[in-house]
Amino acid sequence: MTFSAANVVAVGVLGLLGVGFYGLLATRNLIKVVVALQILVKSAILGLILAGYLRGQVVLGASLAITVIVADTIVAVIGLALAVQVRRKFGTLDLRSLSTLRR
Amino acid sequence: MVSNAFLWLIALPLGSSPIIYLAGRLTRKQPRLKLAQWVSVLSLLAAWWPFIALARAGQQSGGFSLTFGAVDLRFDGLGMLLAGVALMLATLVAVFSGPYLTGEEGEEKYFALLNTMTGAMIGLGCAADLFNLWVWFETMAIASYMLVAFHRNQPGALEAGMKYLVQSAAGSVLILLGISLVILQTGSVNLAVIRSAAVSLPGSPALLAAGALFITGFGVKAALVPLHTWLPDAHSQAPSGISAMLSGVVIEAGLIALLRAIGALAPTTASWGYLLLGIGALNMLVGNLLALRQTQVKRMLAFSSLSHVGYMLLGLGIGFAFHVEDGFTGGFFHLLNHGMLKGLAFLASGALLYTLYISRQQYCPLMISDLAGAARRYPVAAFTLSIALLGLGGLPPLSGFMSKWQIFVAGFRTENTWVIALVIFAALNSVLSLAYYAPLVNTLYRQEPSQAVQQGKPMPFLMNVPLLLLALGSVVLGIWPSLAGWITGPAGAVLMTLVVR
Repeated sequence: MTFSAANVVAVGVLGLLGVGFYGLLATRNLIKVVVALQILVKSAILGLILAGYLRGQVVLGASLAITVIVADTIVAVIGLALAVQVRRKFGTLDLRSLSTLRR
Repeated sequence: MVSNAFLWLIALPLGSSPIIYLAGRLTRKQPRLKLAQWVSVLSLLAAWWPFIALARAGQQSGGFSLTFGAVDLRFDGLGMLLAGVALMLATLVAVFSGPYLTGEEGEEKYFALLNTMTGAMIGLGCAADLFNLWVWFETMAIASYMLVAFHRNQPGALEAGMKYLVQSAAGSVLILLGISLVILQTGSVNLAVIRSAAVSLPGSPALLAAGALFITGFGVKAALVPLHTWLPDAHSQAPSGISAMLSGVVIEAGLIALLRAIGALAPTTASWGYLLLGIGALNMLVGNLLALRQTQVKRMLAFSSLSHVGYMLLGLGIGFAFHVEDGFTGGFFHLLNHGMLKGLAFLASGALLYTLYISRQQYCPLMISDLAGAARRYPVAAFTLSIALLGLGGLPPLSGFMSKWQIFVAGFRTENTWVIALVIFAALNSVLSLAYYAPLVNTLYRQEPSQAVQQGKPMPFLMNVPLLLLALGSVVLGIWPSLAGWITGPAGAVLMTLVVR
């Protein structure tokens, strides 16, 4: 494997994906869950840019990436708004307290 | 003329959403006016005109395209099916939700988001490129996150909303990674270009991986079995109108997005069909077994949605794997029927939940035992709920039976032993599902009313209208199933041209 820009970015995509999923599974704090989701989306954004670059479609990749950034910000805002409500109602941000519904 | 109608079909529900919000805010001092609700109902009713114009014109030409810059939309059979089901349910839910939300804070947000969600679903059905598909999908998802957590003072609703948001957002990241792989392999996001590239790349690992990512990502929304865990919480905690929308169209919209993406990759391998069949079998079994042990009405209905997605997948998988067109049309007919029947079931149980608890400012789940003897005091709600349950269980004069029958016939037509075994398995599952539908019907018609029924308030008149219309639709389609052919036939034909090389 050569040390090219594309390879470095590809490693970045996989690395962020791994970190994001690990964060989702390991963390118990709602704010950290939202952060983990953000890391996951960053991996997808890098992936889109990389794919566009490798196919010579830089504009396509970049425009898709910008759209994803917008959509993903809205998701983060809603996630954090829910976290605020959870803190108000449950008095804690711990995920374990959030399992009152039966299976 | 036709492209104008197309524009209006998407613009009416989406564009009316800020107007609804403003109308609701400005008349906040006069809650009895219900201006937000009526603007929402009128805009959804108005969207029927362009829909009918397009459906009529589409009978001759087979689809219209609309392009704004990079946004590429196409109104074909699949788009027409989803737009029809979404408009039908959204209109009735908007009528129903007015009385349901009486005295509730934030009504204007509810109706504005309902219209946004409907518009996004119509756009999703018509998306002609992968990225467009994702954007509409995400718009629909964002509107539905907020609607699930609408009762933001209820701990259960917050929990369900959070669970739904995290799972869906993780799923949508997988879709984006799939799109990256498709761009890497084909250099385009246009579904037609991807399909022609896939023909020359049979078994390409990147496209196979992309397909798997699409199935996982869209599968979260379509409630494919290992990814379904958000569904029972979200469907049972959302306001009942939204439960009807979620179960009746949103999971189906996920399924149609999945079919669009997999349809473009269909030439890569024949295994997609087998995969759908396998997941379908799992969905039927798990959905039915989990529904059997529920004591809350809305949770039981939510789990039964899993098994109905399984029946749809059975039909669609038969189409994909064996190129039997009846499989596709049967699957889509079941999608239409599930939209009507499950929508009806959630609305009818929502009407009972409202009269028994919410109108008395109590927010507790509706238990099956609460409904004992409800038929005496609430004859319309009890009767329509029974029709919905029996239709979902597949009793003959109702439409649920007809679509299951069509899927089973398509299965026998493959003349493949495994598929026939699977069809028999599905039929047994259908019988098993009666084990939880029938006792609920029995409870409704019991002699002694439960305490909750005795204390219940009278049912608002407006709630009866959507219930009766949906029940009538299901009976009519059960007696003349060919009436649905104009909407399910073109949708099946679209997928058929994608899978046959």
